[in-house]
Amino acid sequence: MTTESLITKPESAIRVAPSVLVGIGAFAAVGVYVLVGSVELNLWTSLGPGPGLFPFAMGAVLVAMAVLWLVQELRRPSETAEGVDRGLVVAVVLSLTILAALMDLLGFQLSMFLFLMYHLRLRGRRSWVSSLITALAGSVGAFYAFNYGLNVTLPVSAFPLLNMIGL
Amino acid sequence: MDTLNELMGGFAAAMTWQNLLFAFLGCLLGTIIGVLPGIGPVAGVALLIPLTMNLDATGAIIMLCAIFYGTAYGGTITSVLLNTPGEAASAITTIDGYAMTKVGKAGAALTIAAVGSFVGGTIATIGLVAAAKPLGELGLLVGPPEFFALMVVGISLLVALAGKSMVKAVISGALGLLIAMVGIDPVAGAPRFTFGMDRLLDGVSFVAVIVGVFGLSELLSHRKETATPTVHAPNMRALLPTGKEWRRSAPAMARGTGIGFGLGLIPGMTGSVSSLLAYGAEKKFSRHRSQLGKGAIEGVAGPETANNAHANAALIPLFTLGIPASPTIAVLMGAFLQQGLTPGPTLFTEHSEIAWAIIASLFIGNLLLLVLNVPLVGLWTSILRVPSTILTPLILLFMVIGAYTINFSVFDVFVMIGFGLLGLALRHLDIPLAPMVLTLVLGPLMERSLRESLEISQGDFGIFTSRPISAVLIGLGILIVFSPLLKFRKPKALNEDPET
Amino acid sequence: MITRSRIAAAFAAATLIALTGCGANAGAANTAADDFPKKGKSIDLVVAFASGGAVDTAARLIQPILEKELGTNVEVINKPGAGGQIGYTQLTSAKPDGYTIAATGSPSVVVSPLDPARGAKYTRDSFQPLGRQVIDPAVIAVQPDSPYQTLKDLLEAAKADPKSMTASTTGLQTGEHFAMAQIQEATGAEFAPVHFSEGASQATTAFLGKHVDILVANVSDVTDLTKQGKARVLGVMTAERSPSLPDVPTFKESGYEVEAGTVRGYSAPAGLPDAVAKKLEAAIQKAIEDPSVVQKMNDLGLQTSYLTGEDYKQFWAGQEEDFKKVLPLVQKTD
Repeated sequence: MTTESLITKPESAIRVAPSVLVGIGAFAAVGVYVLVGSVELNLWTSLGPGPGLFPFAMGAVLVAMAVLWLVQELRRPSETAEGVDRGLVVAVVLSLTILAALMDLLGFQLSMFLFLMYHLRLRGRRSWVSSLITALAGSVGAFYAFNYGLNVTLPVSAFPLLNMIGL
Repeated sequence: MDTLNELMGGFAAAMTWQNLLFAFLGCLLGTIIGVLPGIGPVAGVALLIPLTMNLDATGAIIMLCAIFYGTAYGGTITSVLLNTPGEAASAITTIDGYAMTKVGKAGAALTIAAVGSFVGGTIATIGLVAAAKPLGELGLLVGPPEFFALMVVGISLLVALAGKSMVKAVISGALGLLIAMVGIDPVAGAPRFTFGMDRLLDGVSFVAVIVGVFGLSELLSHRKETATPTVHAPNMRALLPTGKEWRRSAPAMARGTGIGFGLGLIPGMTGSVSSLLAYGAEKKFSRHRSQLGKGAIEGVAGPETANNAHANAALIPLFTLGIPASPTIAVLMGAFLQQGLTPGPTLFTEHSEIAWAIIASLFIGNLLLLVLNVPLVGLWTSILRVPSTILTPLILLFMVIGAYTINFSVFDVFVMIGFGLLGLALRHLDIPLAPMVLTLVLGPLMERSLRESLEISQGDFGIFTSRPISAVLIGLGILIVFSPLLKFRKPKALNEDPET
Repeated sequence: MITRSRIAAAFAAATLIALTGCGANAGAANTAADDFPKKGKSIDLVVAFASGGAVDTAARLIQPILEKELGTNVEVINKPGAGGQIGYTQLTSAKPDGYTIAATGSPSVVVSPLDPARGAKYTRDSFQPLGRQVIDPAVIAVQPDSPYQTLKDLLEAAKADPKSMTASTTGLQTGEHFAMAQIQEATGAEFAPVHFSEGASQATTAFLGKHVDILVANVSDVTDLTKQGKARVLGVMTAERSPSLPDVPTFKESGYEVEAGTVRGYSAPAGLPDAVAKKLEAAIQKAIEDPSVVQKMNDLGLQTSYLTGEDYKQFWAGQEEDFKKVLPLVQKTD
């Protein structure tokens, strides 16, 4: 009997998925950060409820819920969701980040063209013709459609050379 | 009589050619969003908010409302033609809708769905007209404590109904409130949680957050790229249902309207619950219940009518109380706020012209949807033929443009990417996203009314229980969260509802 | 190693090109002043309070005339919150190209950078005043069924039982808050302030719903309410009676030395090219002094009192000095 309880106890703790533990830890950490930050902001001043009051309550809720969740997990670990397609996530997030970083430098048209070509030709394995047409429509076409149709200006290149040729 | 006059005034304002164009465009875009598999109504509406930012308030809201109920119909098309619902609320329609497609009656199914949507939507809008005046007059009774209590009820309903775990729903809600708190404190002016970034003084852009959390994370969580389905547009002659089909649909539409309207009024209920219950009602009460599941027209008419009645009825709590009933409506409310309109009791006193113009446009939009969609079925099917290898990059393109144009700054694109990752993590941890959207929008209003209340009471939290209206509302909120009854009776569909 | 140095060189080149590019752009901005405003490019007129208040109404009144004068769209954008600070932050962080201007009201715009607790990202020098429009005196009003018939009744009661009555403001350290503090300083009557930091429309709504006892507001906020019998104004905080409220005694008449009010005008972010500033200033003057606008403002209880950008700037500096003295009254003490 004693051995049994000794064996099951650590096992049930281990069964909590690592990603869930990380999540709980992250929420608790954010909660604590907010609690500290909101105390610095003042919960109450001579003028009435202060800027920190509401965030303090939310930080407290977050910490409390993280603890509750941990307890629930330890009692009965939840099934973990299916994994994600890491290749897809990395490709999309990285390409978006590079696009955003380059947009002000290269201008919308060139950076978006490269972005679309990457996704259409390299990742999507579409034909050169189809990729080129779609990418041009999505970059140069969208630029002019938004600029003249909707009066929304998208960024142009910061390089005078590129700027001069209309990019 | 007064109401009728104001409604007529609203029609006059909504009938300008610009506003008709906005309603038309909204219906069109909404239907496309509904049809497209990669993008749900929440992210879809959020994505289109920047486009409407340059319009005047009336035009912008008319367009966004049209987008909103356009998505409620768009999902039907894929359900019927492809057996895959474009959005959650149309999932149940696949059963009989696709069965009808297999026997060559897709056209009739789509037409009945469109007519049902029109009937449900129009009747729900009449309900909005009837409710607007009396509820609007209650407006002055709603002071800061009552306003706070109202929002507590709205959020507790959503927390109680969304997802499997209440703990996770509360975490999601708290996260939304915290994100809403970044920026200058709306009362005392102190910068909060800006990490020293001047960019964040104005807060985290709500559109970028929603597009990231709902749209981008959805794309990121796709596991494999699906093959392009082969679809065939039904020919035009097959679009007309037979007289028998009309007769069989009528009672189903009536039941669907009742169910959708009733549930639409309750915050936290999503359209999927309505359409599921409407299907259930057909199974119980229809004269042809034995044929359900084998291509019975009632199985399309009931749920689809309920779905649109729900979508339009859900605007009633938004317009009259300022409470968004679903995540999509919360996004819509965010658009209202950005246009300087606070939905709720004061809307009809302070901006009555705009409010009535929007209501009138709902009638017009529902009609447009009917006239538009049936003949355009061919167009929708051709959109469905676009392979995902093209569609995904294009959706990403629109997300980037949408995020960029909020403030014309790349910063918001980074914000969107960041929140896309957060959304992915939340999905992985099985944390519902709906409470977060709701609190993100309601957060500033909630905090403000809390602090105003405490200033009125000079620090006494008892103000929420000593005033009758807020006491009842707070009690209701507590009951909702802790009542075990609700937990057991919670419709199973809610757990599988991707919208929540 | 080689690749790294190559990347570094490329990066340096890129930075150099980017920098020269920026220089070229800056040069272009100066010449661009002549064709300001560009056709089809709209001008944002930021209002730092919610729609429906006097600031918003005034901005919406001059908007059509500004559009006519400037030949382009002018859009009124409400950016309420923190008693104006959110909107002012938006204005001062915008590019000084003339396409973003704002309605500025003192004391909120003057005081918010003075209190370090607010952490405002702007000072008086971040604004380029373009013109003053109105002075809107502060008033104090009670519910129509209130037992207090005169200012004296009310203030005596508030003195006898401090903080027993709640009174509305449009935010911390806004005109109404100062007015209340000045009343307390001069008479000893203390109210409990409730800050409706989105603006006058929220404060008025709460007063009408009887969620606050006293409405501390401006003449323009109460002109209509008085006509409809929804508020009883007990005193105006000016030297002379307001033309729109001829029956209401001034504080001075009742024996109290209190003068307070809100002053409103229009400003741009500092650093505007001269040509652009001139164009905007002229258009704003035209709009403010337009007879139809002046008439409509009068109907609202607002007496137009135009000052040019330069004079408004002087006035602003004077106000800053005045408010520095009374600021401690409305600052937190702990």
